[in-house]
Amino acid sequence: MDEQARAILQRVIRKIPNKKLQTALRAWDHLSSEQLESLDYAQPKWLFLENLISRCEENRLSLKDVTKLEMAYYIDNPSKGTWHAYQLFQAEGDAVSVNFTQFREQLKAHLKDVVRHVSVRTKKLEDGAVWIRIAWGDNFSKPNHLKPTYVVHYLQTSYVFVLNLMSKHKPFLYQALLLSTRHVSIKEAQLSSRSLTAMRDLLMRQYQQVFPTNQERTLKERNAPPSHPSIEKEHAECAERRHQMACEAFGDGVLPKLETAVYKLETKYRGNSNNTLNDKDELFRGVVMFSSSNLLESFRHCVSAGMAEGPVTPLLSSITQKGRNSFVITDKVPGAASQTPAHKA
Amino acid sequence: MALLTPYSKIPELNTATVLLVENEEQFQSRLADAIVQQEKDINVNVRLARKLPLPVENSETRPRIDLVVFIVNLLSERSLQAAESSLSHLGPDYFLGKLCFLVTDARCGAVPQERLLSVRRLAASHHCPVIYAEHQTEDGITMTAMRVLTILKVSAGLSPVATTALYLSTFTRCTFPSDFDED
Amino acid sequence: MATVKWPHFFHFSAPHSVVNTPAHRPDTRRSKSYGRSCVEPPSLFWQTPGHLTTLGHRIPTSRRAAKSHNITTKVDPEQVALLIKNEWKLSHVTPLYRFRHTQLKLYSKHLAAFIIAEKQQGVAVEVGVEAGFKVTFSAVLGIAETKEDAETVFIQVHSKPLFSADTPKAVWRGWLTCVNGDPEYLRSLPPDFVSLPLFCSSGPEYLTALVKSWFERTFDCSFGSLYLNSTMLNWLAALWTGCHPTSNIRYLKLAWNMPSQPPLDIAYTVNPQDAWELWNSIHTEDSTDDRINIEEVQLFMNGLEIHFFRHFKIYLSAGTLTKVSTALGSAHHDGKIKIGSSDYITTLLTLLTECALMKTPV
Repeated sequence: MDEQARAILQRVIRKIPNKKLQTALRAWDHLSSEQLESLDYAQPKWLFLENLISRCEENRLSLKDVTKLEMAYYIDNPSKGTWHAYQLFQAEGDAVSVNFTQFREQLKAHLKDVVRHVSVRTKKLEDGAVWIRIAWGDNFSKPNHLKPTYVVHYLQTSYVFVLNLMSKHKPFLYQALLLSTRHVSIKEAQLSSRSLTAMRDLLMRQYQQVFPTNQERTLKERNAPPSHPSIEKEHAECAERRHQMACEAFGDGVLPKLETAVYKLETKYRGNSNNTLNDKDELFRGVVMFSSSNLLESFRHCVSAGMAEGPVTPLLSSITQKGRNSFVITDKVPGAASQTPAHKA
Repeated sequence: MALLTPYSKIPELNTATVLLVENEEQFQSRLADAIVQQEKDINVNVRLARKLPLPVENSETRPRIDLVVFIVNLLSERSLQAAESSLSHLGPDYFLGKLCFLVTDARCGAVPQERLLSVRRLAASHHCPVIYAEHQTEDGITMTAMRVLTILKVSAGLSPVATTALYLSTFTRCTFPSDFDED
Repeated sequence: MATVKWPHFFHFSAPHSVVNTPAHRPDTRRSKSYGRSCVEPPSLFWQTPGHLTTLGHRIPTSRRAAKSHNITTKVDPEQVALLIKNEWKLSHVTPLYRFRHTQLKLYSKHLAAFIIAEKQQGVAVEVGVEAGFKVTFSAVLGIAETKEDAETVFIQVHSKPLFSADTPKAVWRGWLTCVNGDPEYLRSLPPDFVSLPLFCSSGPEYLTALVKSWFERTFDCSFGSLYLNSTMLNWLAALWTGCHPTSNIRYLKLAWNMPSQPPLDIAYTVNPQDAWELWNSIHTEDSTDDRINIEEVQLFMNGLEIHFFRHFKIYLSAGTLTKVSTALGSAHHDGKIKIGSSDYITTLLTLLTECALMKTPV
């Protein structure tokens, strides 16, 4: 192992908490089970690292193998940073037939065309996700393995999730992705989160949605009988209506674990009618940030508990309906067709 | 606007009905459970509501309501606002000993003093009592249920002690903040 | 008041007079009972009166608008800089019995000895090695506004490294203050009591606990944590916003917590100029005495809440206002503050002193 491989290995091992070390090394699958057994995972990290390096040297492992360890760890623990979603547009005719091998070869080729020193590693998981690790260099310097970009893409879908992308590398990645997935354009989807799964579930609608039909059925199903015959709820129906509205906007059952949503308000002041600010043309600017351990669940509860008034404003329901969590809100231009405040990207 | 009136319906034998109004719907159902479990001698009906007016659809099936309890959660401004706006939907007869306020979290250090004072003012100006309830422990809830039941029995005319208005007015006096006239 | 122990080390004579402690006053108003005079009627129907304080009904409904003044002309700038740096955790303190501003040097020694003794309790240590704490008490002159206010006291705990070549490092800081305290209340205190109702601390929790416990033993006082309720935070939001024309507040950030499941945090950051224009449309400036009424403060906050509601249909009043911050400072519901600018320190401390006095049982 050369100096660089050791440095990367040290960096990766430092990132992994002690109790996850064993699982991570097992998932890596580069050490024999005897070697794995012989390691003491309770040791201090520096000592453990030395032992690990000697095992790696026994197996003549290289930098390439070490990057695989990092990748395996990220695949198992994707919530290690903020992921950003991108959307592909205008699929070309042959986009549906792109398979993994084609995609991988093309992506590598296109990246190497524009950046001379770049290291690309890919892996396809069982659920269809293609994981790509890119270490960027430039014409003069070797790939920097300390700050790799991670890209996750499900083939034949129009979404790409990216972690740790510097803006100077953005055009290279854009171009390579477009060419290898056979699309014409790509845009930021205004959705970011630490939870990759939440973003995927939200964009690919993998959660239980509720549609404004068959209201009666859900009403009866959910209506829990009072705990005692002499207790009666006067507002049971209102409560059910609110719950229904909440579910229509945010979904039913377990919801994608989104943590934040940000709204930049560039609208005119809308306060009490007697305030002089109402007549002014100037904007009342502000930024609203919502955060929770599960934002959609919080919103759903707010609406069903009456802390928010129903029907749910399109501003909030846009999170699930448009799959975004970053918005700029402006007043609608007079004469525009849209009923709600316009959402600009 | 339909006012809620206590005497428009015929009372049922040996039965009392209390209406618990709480905007947050957090404490009311636990209190309701405690109330019905505690009372063995008479039939107690509990109606739970978020606010007044009550839905017109239920007016046929709703029994005569003998006592209205406004539950105010002091940690929430909206809770007080909701109770205030509900007051105007009560018929005048309720203000003669068939109404009380119940506040929670009064001892919480983070509660604005003004909010507690507002509740006391509101109660005092309508000559009705304020009950301070501990809602986080079983004992506290049982105790609160007991207090509500005692008042309920009187206001439903099931207690041989005294007439409602006279009875309640004797103990609204002690909830009247003594510093009102100083301000 | 509880019985007062007379710690033996008070028999020192004051070495040099630094400040006069305002407690040395003729006892004129001792018999005056303060606040509620009548005895609470016997509790019927298990009613608990819900009274926390006797000052509770004296909540001010108007205040002077925050005026910038350069405090460093009155107060040592180095001391001011210490107050600005940290985030402070607030407590309220009952009046201190026989606290003397002239004895600060002595207190320094005693507190240091106390901390070391407490730290060594139950632990076998090598004698002499562990003597690692140094405490300094100092009076911050000039923070007090009226003659009734006792001068602010600043306490620092330094840990002395084993190798004396290194300079001692400050590990804990705290101060006791009183700014524009209710004069009637302060005058009504019996002699020998000094009211410094606001205690701010910054540092490890165990040291805070030790300092508090030393004060409680030495001056027969008691500490309680100080929460900032939404009314106080509303005042701060309005007072700070009002400062914008003279001192850029950069942003007005308000945070709420909604009791949903899971809890929802809402942070609303308003453009400072727009916030000020809203405030200006509500508050009419009097040329003579610029005072702000509670009604104006409420209108201002309601104005922000309504604007928010028109967009998101969420009732912020169903939640709790947890934090207010601008470039001038920040205040958190659970009793943490940061002072961003020394120019408005008096306004902030006046408000907090009042808040602390309201919690003091009389």
